[in-house]
Amino acid sequence: MRKLNSKNRGDRIYSFCLLIPAFLLALFFILIPIVDSVIKSFQDFKVKNIISGKPGVWNNFANYIKLFASNALGNAVVNTFVFVVFVIVFQFVLGMALALVLNSNIKGARFFRSIMMTPWVVPTVISALIWMWLFQPQYGLVKYLVSLVTFGKVTEFAMLNQPDSALTGVGIAALWKQIPLMTLLLLAGLQNVPDDIQEAAMIDGASKTRRFFSITMPYMASVIKIAVSMSIIENFKQFPLFWTMTGGGPDGATTNLAILSYREAFVSMNLGSGAAVTTIWMLLMIITVGIYNKCFRTYDMT
Amino acid sequence: MKKILVLLLSLLTAMSLFAGGSAEKAESEQVTIKVANYAVLEQGYIPFWEGVKEGFEAKYPNYKIEWVTAPYGEIVNQVINMAGGGDRVDVIFSESSWVPGFEDAGLAAPVDEVLSADFIKDIYPSVLADFEINGKAYGVPLYVTPFVLYYNKDLFAQAGLDPNTPPTTYDEMLKYAEKLSQLKDKNGNKVYAFGQTTASVAISGTALTAMVFNFGGEVLDANGNLSCDNEGFRQAFETLALLDEMGYNPQNAKLKDLRNLFALGQLAMYYDQSWGFNGVSSINPDAKNFTASAAPLKGGNGSGESLMSAHCFVLVDNGEAHNKAVDAFVQYVISADTLSDYLANVTPAYPATYSMEGMEGVANNPILKGAANSVANVKHQVTVPALNDLNLELTTLAQAVTVSNKSVDQAIAEFKKAAALKLQ
Repeated sequence: MRKLNSKNRGDRIYSFCLLIPAFLLALFFILIPIVDSVIKSFQDFKVKNIISGKPGVWNNFANYIKLFASNALGNAVVNTFVFVVFVIVFQFVLGMALALVLNSNIKGARFFRSIMMTPWVVPTVISALIWMWLFQPQYGLVKYLVSLVTFGKVTEFAMLNQPDSALTGVGIAALWKQIPLMTLLLLAGLQNVPDDIQEAAMIDGASKTRRFFSITMPYMASVIKIAVSMSIIENFKQFPLFWTMTGGGPDGATTNLAILSYREAFVSMNLGSGAAVTTIWMLLMIITVGIYNKCFRTYDMT
Repeated sequence: MKKILVLLLSLLTAMSLFAGGSAEKAESEQVTIKVANYAVLEQGYIPFWEGVKEGFEAKYPNYKIEWVTAPYGEIVNQVINMAGGGDRVDVIFSESSWVPGFEDAGLAAPVDEVLSADFIKDIYPSVLADFEINGKAYGVPLYVTPFVLYYNKDLFAQAGLDPNTPPTTYDEMLKYAEKLSQLKDKNGNKVYAFGQTTASVAISGTALTAMVFNFGGEVLDANGNLSCDNEGFRQAFETLALLDEMGYNPQNAKLKDLRNLFALGQLAMYYDQSWGFNGVSSINPDAKNFTASAAPLKGGNGSGESLMSAHCFVLVDNGEAHNKAVDAFVQYVISADTLSDYLANVTPAYPATYSMEGMEGVANNPILKGAANSVANVKHQVTVPALNDLNLELTTLAQAVTVSNKSVDQAIAEFKKAAALKLQ
């Protein structure tokens, strides 16, 4: 018995030692920078402080007061949430549809699966440039197709130039890029749904729809939860697509929290103000993911 | 034993992430100056800058140039990030509107602390004044330009307009635009009559400031305070709204988009810095056959004044040895020998020094000829650290009265609120 306890203690110490590198990495590369950023958000801290090595000075919440006094923060929060909801809803629906098609043993499914992954491996900035050219208002392919489909009635179609449609334009580029990964994850989930349960339900006379909602979806719940969580985080912090395609315009229609943070920190060269946006952004993300996790608690079906 | 090995390996892997190298400093008489330059990555400018490096290093064997490169939109951050890490470049090839930011960051040195007095005396005082902050100049101009009006002579002729009589006022331009906008290019595409950049980039804000000056207005007063309650400011944005309503101006376009359309014969007139022609001719080498320039238009009670822009060098004080090398480099580049061919054939622009006055390639440049007098009709704008922010807010205002269809009153009210916060 004593021998067993001593072995357990040794294992525990060994496990703890193995955790030390991960803990150090998390401490130095995640926790300390986050704390440092939160501290700087309360300071007058500009680029000159970095270059001269002078520390920032406490500025009585001036960064936050200025942000809340401008319309920019509210606009960026709304744009961020609208974008996240738009992309996730369409990504999930289209991703699930594709996963179901690929899971149905259709001819050429393996080939299609390989081709489908192409957008995912294209770097985000390249994707942005591709879509920018497709949406180009004078000679873009989308403009040409719209003109063709409407029999020449719509000759001016500039998705990224109109405040009403610019966010959708960036959203379409995000969907093109992200649907493959969502499909792949959902496909992996689909392949783990036990066939015997499906067959039993079929014998009992359950319709396809009933089987999908009562068997497939519950069995996939944990995969769906992880895939959607990843997507929320990815789109909450989306920067390269916005910066490359619209730079936050027109008229602030695509300024999300990432763009606002970048503009405050690196265009205004006010790192304190940029850190204030980042802090608000981080809190909103934590709250959103927290609410999501609470709403979509999953249960082990196996 | 196996466990200890695994443990050591994981620790080593973690520690390797913290490891850094230190470069060995070679002590020698050779001085290498780091020049941050986005143009080295741009096709139309590569031969010139390669020639500069080659020529300078041949003339001064003890000095070497090391380019620090990044695309145009990223070069400022590149320089600042390097400085934050203790690696300061010596010279930055910069837009004039970036200078206040570099000064505010504590990176730019007053030019009289690095360059010889005789060389500084050679620069036109009115041009050098545009780089002054609290009485000290923080940039050295290579060449200058107002925003000039480029127009397509062939399209003018096709529209039944005299190609040698460009418009001189906004009212005239609108009459010309009515005819020009009826044209189609050879592929049946629409021809835009007039281009003014309004995209969400700082340089578009500079172009919009120049347009306000055309109307006799101002954006900042002499003390750097926001000053947009003036008729010229309002008229400039009313004109933009009208141009948009008539479909004359490509919406939300960057300067590079306008250059592209102009090069392809889909834009009849547009405002650009004189060196923008390099972008046009890179796309269509035949553009020189149909391009002409004219002075900025007069609007309202304005006299068509414009804003002077410059490509300039920002200097960083990295000690005496580097400063001497920088002095030699700047004087080498800003000289008739180095710039005459460049200004004549690559980047049409106007010289900034007395010694280059009347330079053959500039005086007889067919592209610049029409706008030659506009260099004398510019208005000085005071420099403030938040100039880039202000420029971006101006683009938002322009987008508000065009693509957002907001009333000019509402858009100006929103602009005043946002700009005032930025200028605080």
